[in-house]
Amino acid sequence: MALGLLAPVAQSADVEYGRYLSSECTTCHGASKADSTIPNIHGLGESHIAEVIKAYRTKALPNPVMQTIAARLGDDEIAALAAYFATAKRPK
Amino acid sequence: MTNITRRHFGIMAGASLSTLGLPILSAPALAQGKPRVVIIGGGPGGATAARYIAKESNGAIDVTLIEPLKTFTTCFFSNLYVGGFRDYKSLTHNYDKVRKGGVKVVHSMAASIDRDKKQVVLAGGGKVPYDRLLVAPGIDIRFDSVPGYSEKAAEVMPHAWKPGAQTQLLVRKLNALKDGDQIVMIAPPNPYRCPPGPYERVSMFAHVLKKKGFKKSRIVILDPKPTFSKQAVFSEGWEKHYPGIIEWQDPKIHGGIKGVDAKTGEVKTDFTNYKPALVNVIPAQHAGKIARDAGLTNQTGYCPIDAASMKSTVDPNIFIVGDASIAGEMPKSAFSANSQAKVAAMVIRAELTKSRAFPARYSNTCWSLIAPDDDVKVGASYEPVDGAIKASSTFVSQRNESADLRKQNYKESVDWYKGITADIFG
Repeated sequence: MALGLLAPVAQSADVEYGRYLSSECTTCHGASKADSTIPNIHGLGESHIAEVIKAYRTKALPNPVMQTIAARLGDDEIAALAAYFATAKRPK
Repeated sequence: MTNITRRHFGIMAGASLSTLGLPILSAPALAQGKPRVVIIGGGPGGATAARYIAKESNGAIDVTLIEPLKTFTTCFFSNLYVGGFRDYKSLTHNYDKVRKGGVKVVHSMAASIDRDKKQVVLAGGGKVPYDRLLVAPGIDIRFDSVPGYSEKAAEVMPHAWKPGAQTQLLVRKLNALKDGDQIVMIAPPNPYRCPPGPYERVSMFAHVLKKKGFKKSRIVILDPKPTFSKQAVFSEGWEKHYPGIIEWQDPKIHGGIKGVDAKTGEVKTDFTNYKPALVNVIPAQHAGKIARDAGLTNQTGYCPIDAASMKSTVDPNIFIVGDASIAGEMPKSAFSANSQAKVAAMVIRAELTKSRAFPARYSNTCWSLIAPDDDVKVGASYEPVDGAIKASSTFVSQRNESADLRKQNYKESVDWYKGITADIFG
């Protein structure tokens, strides 16, 4: 499965860089409640986060805000973000 | 947690970020104990920077935020208060969580910056020394940019371009209108805070008139600009929701804005004299006084910065974020200020604690409400290119979009407000 193949890549992800890049995300995603149009992304599965960001990058997912943010993210940066958010807790 | 515990935790966290055996703190910091960052202005730029520096440095940096007001009312979303979609209280935030995040909040007016001594002088005479200073004073209104206008005239003809009593005055005047009364807005020249803001505000005026069932009232916008932000979708929305109500005049139509007279209530252009019941004058703007007095501005009235760091080009110990800065292609918005503050916070931390520095990444989105559930947006990602901040990818709402999409935009904007205010104020 793709999930298994992603694991070695994730281990080499630059989590500290991901933490910095994540500050762009928390502008909108920091206070998300269950019914929000802007979902909580803290603590989600690493491969899931990466897949969703890549889907915005290819415009397979529709929101222009997310498409614009994803447009400039390289694979390493997406891996860094995914590795960071997978273990991050939502800000209090 | 006691102070001692926090300090130990901070040192350990700092150590983990630097190579073992190398000094963690920079030279000025070693001389003074913890490095000191002082921030002037507790709005979207200043409060974000304060919180991020305190949080990411884990107590290794002493962070002081100087802000005269005990509560902050956001300019962003204040148009929704004008339109009756929000109450005033929902726009007001306090600094309790900023304090809990490890920031010393000093409710005092910063009177001046002594750049030679690296200290901020407070209105009461107190002095606050800094190793790095972040200046985020926002804008001041240039009252003299509209002949006849003044701070006193603003009590009759509100600008409402800084949050607080002015916004409340505008709403009182709007709600007191009778059918047939006219509204005139004088729009500002570029560059100014919140490019789509005047046009969203006019949309909210029209919404209030429509909701009251008025048939005869009209709104005139006298604009010194030939075009404006999101013009295509605003124009479409005005025709759809408020046909015949809003008249936008560019300089070719009005021939030049000659001035206002607060005593008679008149507004004069080259071609026409208006005597409206409500006049909303949004004059030209420039960086907050403290930045101008400290010599941080150039001939534009705003502060030049290094695009990769938000550092002042005239003082390497000072950073400027938000509306007061010249941020290239980024608009003056709370979102921009919040984004710039994170870059500045990262660079300041790297300089003072030797933590890693990363490439500057900026972003912005501005939502505007035209009518209930009809919301449009514009946004971009930005990066430093050849010394200036430039847009790397952009988007803007289009004409003929579905009602569902516009409704979704509105919901998204409301959720964004929750998100960004939590990011700024905790």
